[in-house]
Amino acid sequence: MHELPQNLVNGLLLGATYGLIAVGYTIVYGIVQLINFAHGEIFMTGAFGALSVYLGLGSGTSMWIAIPLMLLGAIVTSTVIAVLTERLAYRPLRNAPRLAPLITAIGVSITLQQLVWGFYPSAKSPRVFPSLPGGPFHVGGVLIQSADIFVVVAAVLSTLFLAYFVRTTRTGRAMQATAQDPDTAKLMGINTDRVIVIAFALGAGFAGIAGVAWGLRYGEIKFDMGFLTGLYAFTAAVLGGIGNIYGAMLGGLVLGLVQNLTAIYIADIPGMSQFSSQSWSSVWAFVILILVLMVRPQGLLGERVADRA
Amino acid sequence: MTDTTTATVDNAPAPGTPLLQASNVVMRFGGLTAVNDVSLTVNTGEIIGLIGPNGAGKTTFFNCLTGLYVPTEGTVTYKGATLPPKPHKVTQAGMARTFQNIRLFHNMTVLENVLVGRHTRTKEGLISAILRGPGYRREEADSRAKAMEYLDFVGLANKAGTLARNLPYGEQRKLEVARALASEPGLLLLDEPTAGMNPQETRATEELVFAVRDRGIAVLVIEHDMRFIFNLCDRVAVLVQGQKLVEGDAATVQGDERVVAAYLGTPYEGNADSTTPEENQ
Repeated sequence: MHELPQNLVNGLLLGATYGLIAVGYTIVYGIVQLINFAHGEIFMTGAFGALSVYLGLGSGTSMWIAIPLMLLGAIVTSTVIAVLTERLAYRPLRNAPRLAPLITAIGVSITLQQLVWGFYPSAKSPRVFPSLPGGPFHVGGVLIQSADIFVVVAAVLSTLFLAYFVRTTRTGRAMQATAQDPDTAKLMGINTDRVIVIAFALGAGFAGIAGVAWGLRYGEIKFDMGFLTGLYAFTAAVLGGIGNIYGAMLGGLVLGLVQNLTAIYIADIPGMSQFSSQSWSSVWAFVILILVLMVRPQGLLGERVADRA
Repeated sequence: MTDTTTATVDNAPAPGTPLLQASNVVMRFGGLTAVNDVSLTVNTGEIIGLIGPNGAGKTTFFNCLTGLYVPTEGTVTYKGATLPPKPHKVTQAGMARTFQNIRLFHNMTVLENVLVGRHTRTKEGLISAILRGPGYRREEADSRAKAMEYLDFVGLANKAGTLARNLPYGEQRKLEVARALASEPGLLLLDEPTAGMNPQETRATEELVFAVRDRGIAVLVIEHDMRFIFNLCDRVAVLVQGQKLVEGDAATVQGDERVVAAYLGTPYEGNADSTTPEENQ
């Protein structure tokens, strides 16, 4: 066979990255019912933010010092850009018909891509991203890169943080309240505009972390890397049940596994070998999505639309 | 940063001073005038009733008071200051409300609902929440203690961990009151608090409202149940077709033939009074 454990691990790692991005889609959707199609680009700008910090540090810096600073750079870049887009593009359309902010999101997505393409130094072709020292490690026949460890740690810590934040803090409660009934939340004294900004900022922070994780794993970043990845992450959010943060993570993991495993194992089914290439893996991912939504239209962990979040 | 609760002290100035003053409030939706030139004053320590047939504009008037609607004309002042048109600032200023059709956060527990109500009376920096400093812990504990106190006040302390959607109807109404009280208001607005209640529950609500008043909180209540309102209120205002017909104590309002006409229609041979149309739903 084809080293099943290795493929499982690879799938889960890809999935964890999707999950980190999917969280951003899901939080924002849960609160303003906007599918922020520019979120993939927020992820991309995070990666470029981290790269800028790395380039600014000078070549002698140890990666152990550089990584925290790059993470900070990524989170700050993503968050600032996300908050700005909310302020400038989405807030003026808060009471407009649903379609207007949706189209705007697509516009923001293209704008951000083109800004990076046009103005970031030599970003017209892929830029090399630094890699982590150490590794690879062999754990029971599975090959693990140091970047993989970074992804796991980042995903686990982020999810735990988010769960803690939403469930137990005052701001988290305000977010839940706003997601369930914005008008009542306002009357309870919650500044819902502020809650919406926090939702965008939180999602962007996770996207920034995912940007660094992506760069470390694949060794290069590109101005259009957020487009397809964002689309998969959005799919993951829907698969897990949009509006549910645990669902986003679960959806990411399922999607990553499906993409990785189908790319390899479909060929083992007699007569299916031509459907097993890398490019077919996306098809299988969406087949799974459709199958899941046929049985559970609200997604794996989603609740009825009437009481999301 | 960790400075908590300003207790009810400043909410209880000398009884009898004007707390809420609505002057000449007009609310139009396109060509429809839902509230027409209504003025109403609520003094500290008072329970004021607002009655009127369905569609008279009571809830619309309420929404003008709480900042959900910005009145087309007229002003609403609370403790002498004009209210900002943002609902969350109205709550901050000291007005809280319940809803005609219950609007709890159904997927949160009873306790969490009350904690949301305390939102404006607590402060929490994002950073301090993440770091869980001692100040944050103290405030969170304090907030929970206060929330439990309000639950105890309405008699729901033993249901703190229940999801709001699993409460029976009457208790959901009580929870709405607890949640509103948690914002430490000077004025509580109740929109049909006894809708759908049996006589026993209605009587319990009556006692609850008196207890709220005894805490130094003025109450403005919309109701259909006449016995409830006349037992309860110091003054009653009658709204018919968006206009205030009468205002006065229970006896005055009950004795006013225009009010009777508005509810029951004019007698067949009665004189045609322009303010008593029967078609009013």
